[in-house]
Amino acid sequence: MSTALTRNFSIIAHIDHGKTTLSDRLLEATQTITDRQRQDQLLDSMDLERERGITIKSHPVTMSYKARDGKTYQLNLLDTPGHVDFSYEVSRSLAACEGALLLIDAAQGVEAQTMANVHLAHQQNLTVIPVINKIDLPAADIPAVKKQLEDIIAIPGEEAIPASAKMGIGISDILEAIVERIPPPAEPIDDRLRALVFDSVFDTYRGVVSYVRVISGEIRRGTAIEMFSTGKRYEVKETGVFTPKQTPRDRLVTGDVGYLIANMKSSSEVKIGDTITDAQRPCSEALPGFKEIQPMVFAGIYPVSSDDFEQLKVAMGKLQINDAAFTFQAESSAALGFGFRCGFLGLLHMEIVQERLRREFDMDVISTYPGVIYHVKKTDGEQIEVDNPSYLPEPQVIEEIQEPIVRVFIMVPNENIGDMMQLVADKRGELENTETLDTTRVLLTAILPLNEILVDFNDKLKSVTRGYGSMDYEHAGYRPAKLVKMEMMISGEPVDAFSTIVHRDKAESRGRELAAKLKEVIPQQMFVVAIQAAIGGKIIARESISAMRKNVTAKCYGGDITRKRKLLEKQKEGKKRMKAIGKVNIPQEAFIQVLKTSN
Amino acid sequence: MAAISHLYVHIPFCHHICPYCGFYKHQPGRLANRAFVDALLDELRLAARDTDLALETIFFGGGTPTLLSPSHLERLLTGLAGLTDLSGVREWTLEANPATFDLAKASLLRDLGVTRISLGVQSWQTDTLATLGRDHSPEQAEAAYHVLREAGFASVGIDLIFSVPGQTAAGWAADLDKAIALGADHVSAYNLTYEEDTEFLTRHERGELNSDEDRDASLFYLAIDTLEGAGYRHYEISNYARPGHESLHNQAYWSGADYLGIGPGAVSTVEGRRWKSLPDTAAWIARIQAGQPAHTELEHLTDEDRRLERLALQFRTAEGIPAAIVAGGDLRSDPVSSLIEQGLIEIAPPGDRLRLTRRGKALADSVTAALA
Repeated sequence: MSTALTRNFSIIAHIDHGKTTLSDRLLEATQTITDRQRQDQLLDSMDLERERGITIKSHPVTMSYKARDGKTYQLNLLDTPGHVDFSYEVSRSLAACEGALLLIDAAQGVEAQTMANVHLAHQQNLTVIPVINKIDLPAADIPAVKKQLEDIIAIPGEEAIPASAKMGIGISDILEAIVERIPPPAEPIDDRLRALVFDSVFDTYRGVVSYVRVISGEIRRGTAIEMFSTGKRYEVKETGVFTPKQTPRDRLVTGDVGYLIANMKSSSEVKIGDTITDAQRPCSEALPGFKEIQPMVFAGIYPVSSDDFEQLKVAMGKLQINDAAFTFQAESSAALGFGFRCGFLGLLHMEIVQERLRREFDMDVISTYPGVIYHVKKTDGEQIEVDNPSYLPEPQVIEEIQEPIVRVFIMVPNENIGDMMQLVADKRGELENTETLDTTRVLLTAILPLNEILVDFNDKLKSVTRGYGSMDYEHAGYRPAKLVKMEMMISGEPVDAFSTIVHRDKAESRGRELAAKLKEVIPQQMFVVAIQAAIGGKIIARESISAMRKNVTAKCYGGDITRKRKLLEKQKEGKKRMKAIGKVNIPQEAFIQVLKTSN
Repeated sequence: MAAISHLYVHIPFCHHICPYCGFYKHQPGRLANRAFVDALLDELRLAARDTDLALETIFFGGGTPTLLSPSHLERLLTGLAGLTDLSGVREWTLEANPATFDLAKASLLRDLGVTRISLGVQSWQTDTLATLGRDHSPEQAEAAYHVLREAGFASVGIDLIFSVPGQTAAGWAADLDKAIALGADHVSAYNLTYEEDTEFLTRHERGELNSDEDRDASLFYLAIDTLEGAGYRHYEISNYARPGHESLHNQAYWSGADYLGIGPGAVSTVEGRRWKSLPDTAAWIARIQAGQPAHTELEHLTDEDRRLERLALQFRTAEGIPAAIVAGGDLRSDPVSSLIEQGLIEIAPPGDRLRLTRRGKALADSVTAALA
């Protein structure tokens, strides 16, 4: 089969701009799927994805479309994850395509996520077809959206296809545009096998299922394949395509999108972005763009009950089998006991992992304040990476600390520009660009430390703009910053769970905030308890909990004895759940409460 | 058969219900007090079947024991003497409330064998008495004290309460001074506590009454300093006595001795079993009249239970506890050593006992919890 009749594309859109509805319409229009099948098959995704309206895993599907030119084309739609945490996966999915439908809500216009997605599509040199969706809405303003396209994205307005996925308007125009405008897969330079892995899933019965786009050559059952990044070899057990369910096919050839199953037991064996080649006749070079996925956000995850440590370890191991981006390593904390240092792609990924631990494994867990990975240059010239504040070297041996930064796209109503710029400044950000989108909105582009947007940036954006603002970001490398390790000490003993790497200028306020919170939750002791925030031994904030002065039962006679003993038994039992920081006994719940309120 | 040396008798009647009191008590109502007295004697008779009564201390508490009429008191006390040999009794205490007895009643009690009176004065200040809902005046309390002296009791003690809402440090100092000036042999100084099922607790929860730990502590230390300065020994958290006037009966509780309690709501502990007599006067009488024991809340005490109880109670006394019952007796290990370091406990003579320091006394519950 010639690649001339194959089109590979994805749909990129801001959340709620109608991506799922459009996908459904395309599947129906090409008779790939019937109404009856839709519920069972298309939406065969995690509950979490459905609840949050996000896509975590790819859902590729192959459609057969008879175009107006009379020819039948094979259209491969690669549905991609819709969140920046998964931007590397998105980039690999896009790398497997030649074009993308850019979906924009006719009433909402261009949003922050639209911008981030267009950037990614341009980086892959994709042909972008703008689709203005929801034109049936009373608030739809097609000319305004066209103008935004021209002004902000530099795409001629007349290229946009007006559509309403909901009402079935414009669907055939979209299908025709896919065939006409998106180029077919490029002619291969030779016939050696090069297949790009753009996603993988773990199936309990069949092991790892790799999702691939064949760039050149062919792959079939029995092919001995080699993974370019690891050099590991496997024998292919099955190849197939998505109809949308996995359907075996004899072989996958140049231009095809499909899956393959070899003898892989864990997702970590197949790396997204890797090149699969034929072990007998390998290609000489890997496809461009492969990266080892690096966690960007780190946090400690601890079982709420220390008895659950082993169970949590098992649960994390199982979770990692189908989520290779998630990393974990045992660590211990004086405050929280035994737990794990975990790495995530981003905050959403962290939330997803925690949520899956709770739902799928019934684990009650608490996580420490999330942090990022710092590049530390020591005075002796050594370069190290630090993902845990406890491992930051002493200040005197540090020459420079660099922190990860991101480019943030922020859309805000005009009247909130001032507040928004203040928020960016508060978060140590710098404005790169301000662009007027239309008469009511502006697009701000700013560089911000990743660490500063981890926790509450989006919430603050929403509150500043009363819900009308939106944001997205892309990674923008590292830059030096005045960072310090701040330790919280209780009666002079550092409490590891609250150690953080913070910007020097923010240390005081953060220290004061944490000290005040700890003061609230630590019970009075029989002696004065000092709570201090310190940088390299220098105290920057302090609180103290006065000593308990009187705690004694007035009457203890014959009728009071049992009650008194039971109280003592209860206190004795309670002591088991206490964590000793020096001489201070603190209920673990107190730490958990602080972590909950400060995250 | 278990030998019983200590008897508690509960008389649950009060004319007037004080809003802070958590003891089992009620107004006498139309209950026949005669039936009540007979039931007490019957309950003792029932208990005497399985125990060997060799009484050394007797304590009549309440409620208000002095609410019983002279004839009922006589019937009860002579009945008691008829049931068991009282020649070994070294202390017979009765709780008395001002304005519920006269010289005749006091003399009767004295003649029938009572040696020691604990007089429920609570305060010498009119406003504090009003807050506490007491139905006697300072003058009546003072008169009652003199009546007891006139009747010739060997030992008269005064009960006082501190940290009452509205009470000042000066008021509390005056209360203590007055007790000392009157020559009380024993003073019980109780920090007001907000007990379950009391009007005070409800008002405390509503925020109408406030407790204040700092005030509690300073009034507590004021009592220690004032009474010790006047020659009283602080022999238990809330109790002070002139030498030889310590309550033998209460010391028996604190040392973990067995005791028998009769009357509705009274608790007994005999050979590792503990029970409560039904805290419902009518039901209790009915059960006794039917010839059945009126017990409830039976528990069996383990060695560990006894150990914890000793720690909880005996530790509150001036003698302290044998070091052996905590931390295996190792005084150098935590938590013992750090509590010593913090000045909350100390090693008592002859070197194998631990006791609370002055500051440790104020924090006794926390110290005990740290050692449990």
